[in-house]
Amino acid sequence: MSRTSEEWRHKPRLPATHYVNSRIYTDEEIHREEIEKIFNKVWLIACHESEMAAKGDFRTFFHPSGRSLIIVRGEDGKVRAFYNTCSHRGNKVVQVPSGNAKRFTCVFHHWSYDATGACVDIPRETAGYGERLCKATVGLREVKCESGLGGFIWVNIDDGCESLGAFVGDALEDLEVELSQPLEVFHYHQAVVETNYKLWHDTNRELYHDYMHYHNRLTGLSQKGYFDRVYHTYPNGHVQLDSMEIQYQAYRGKQRTLTWPGAAAASHKLIDIFPGTTFILRTPSMRIDTMTPLGANRVLIEFRGLGLKSDTPDERAERLKEHNNLWGPFGLNLHEDLHANEMQTEAMRDGVEHAHVLHAREENHTTHDEIGMRQYYAEWGRRMGRSPSDPYRA
Amino acid sequence: MSADREIAELVYQSCFLLDEMNFAGYLELCAPDFRYRIVAYSPELRKDMVWQDVNREDFKHHLDLIPKHVREMVSLSRFPTLYTIRYDNDGKRANVLSGLQVFKTKLDGGETKLYGVCRLHDVVDLTNARPLLAFREVRMETRQLGTGSQIPF
Repeated sequence: MSRTSEEWRHKPRLPATHYVNSRIYTDEEIHREEIEKIFNKVWLIACHESEMAAKGDFRTFFHPSGRSLIIVRGEDGKVRAFYNTCSHRGNKVVQVPSGNAKRFTCVFHHWSYDATGACVDIPRETAGYGERLCKATVGLREVKCESGLGGFIWVNIDDGCESLGAFVGDALEDLEVELSQPLEVFHYHQAVVETNYKLWHDTNRELYHDYMHYHNRLTGLSQKGYFDRVYHTYPNGHVQLDSMEIQYQAYRGKQRTLTWPGAAAASHKLIDIFPGTTFILRTPSMRIDTMTPLGANRVLIEFRGLGLKSDTPDERAERLKEHNNLWGPFGLNLHEDLHANEMQTEAMRDGVEHAHVLHAREENHTTHDEIGMRQYYAEWGRRMGRSPSDPYRA
Repeated sequence: MSADREIAELVYQSCFLLDEMNFAGYLELCAPDFRYRIVAYSPELRKDMVWQDVNREDFKHHLDLIPKHVREMVSLSRFPTLYTIRYDNDGKRANVLSGLQVFKTKLDGGETKLYGVCRLHDVVDLTNARPLLAFREVRMETRQLGTGSQIPF
């Protein structure tokens, strides 16, 4: 039976933990608060060590706070991160996404910085500043930076934050062996998608949507063991799903045989790190999603495909092929997920009579249980000081 | 018809058939040893990335699967501009360079936006009754493709 306006707006007869108010996905004020209370406080992946292997190599990273960061490997081999902002007149120091440099010189007035963030040159310093200001006091603003957990470079702009190890805890345990191998990024692309970042991450936290994917219906959903997978929740909002063997032959006529140390051939593992990082191993390749919210209805997602640094050319080609078939910009599966998120946003854009989004499936934490999203919104509510199901309650 | 003209028609026809989602027609333009690649230089990784690299059989498999997958309700319109045709000394093959603009039009409302810019490097086999595509490399200039496209350029 269809519903009237009043019935549509009525709260579901479910525990408040099992649904959210759709306006948490569309309200710009809530979005700004999320940046302040969540993204400015947590560890985020900025890049991977293989993207900056040599001394002097650098990458830039657009942090959700709106700041550009420079990540650089110093002469001492240590990786450090700084605001990409000149101490003089606030100009962006580095304009390119990557490179190798001994110094970073701002094009505006030629103030220069080294890989430790120290200001090493100010043109006509004494003539202009005398004793009132000197290089030693105008270094770049350093940001907490740690390398690890698969060789990723993690940053946190909160000087008082907990350690990366404390933040992630044991959540990556199931990929411990897989991530302990020297890895290499072979694929990188960005997607700006007209959706809320949480809707994208929600999709990575539930497999009920496998019904949408022709590939997943054939290789997973209809296969033995699919419904036996169990979600495990961790402190700080992280979640992990037990692995299963994917039956690729049901889709492509041939099973995948190339393995990954620690994982069986054709295995699928999934771990989500709050608030928006996902590790997916689909042997033979690994995908890491990270994201930067650009507004309540817009998100920049960075997709990385990884292989083993020790791959032979043939092994790399096989990992690439499988990655691209599903997850590349011209792949068949990734588009489906992103398109579904854009449709969600079109349907629930702010100002439209709000509804409730259900996270209510309970199946003993197995494959189609929506515990992954409930775990997320418990953490979201804790950090935001708002109830996801009733976010405007005083 | 001159060889140049036949080759130009092959390039234009290949784009038109993909616009029409006439995949069987597209494959008829391809030689048995056809290879299709999409590549892009990543300034983030400072190296070339391969986004698709398939032989004729794998390409056909990909195209056959598209209708079975969920897809954004849009059409793509390809506008190639042929730059150069260079013939091998023995006249059996030609290397063709074209620019390509791809526009996306929404089914709902009909809005059109520029979606991607790239170059096509084609190798054309001239040893048959008509020119056939032996190799196509799509070198992407645009790397930010939103939700992406299951349909090749």
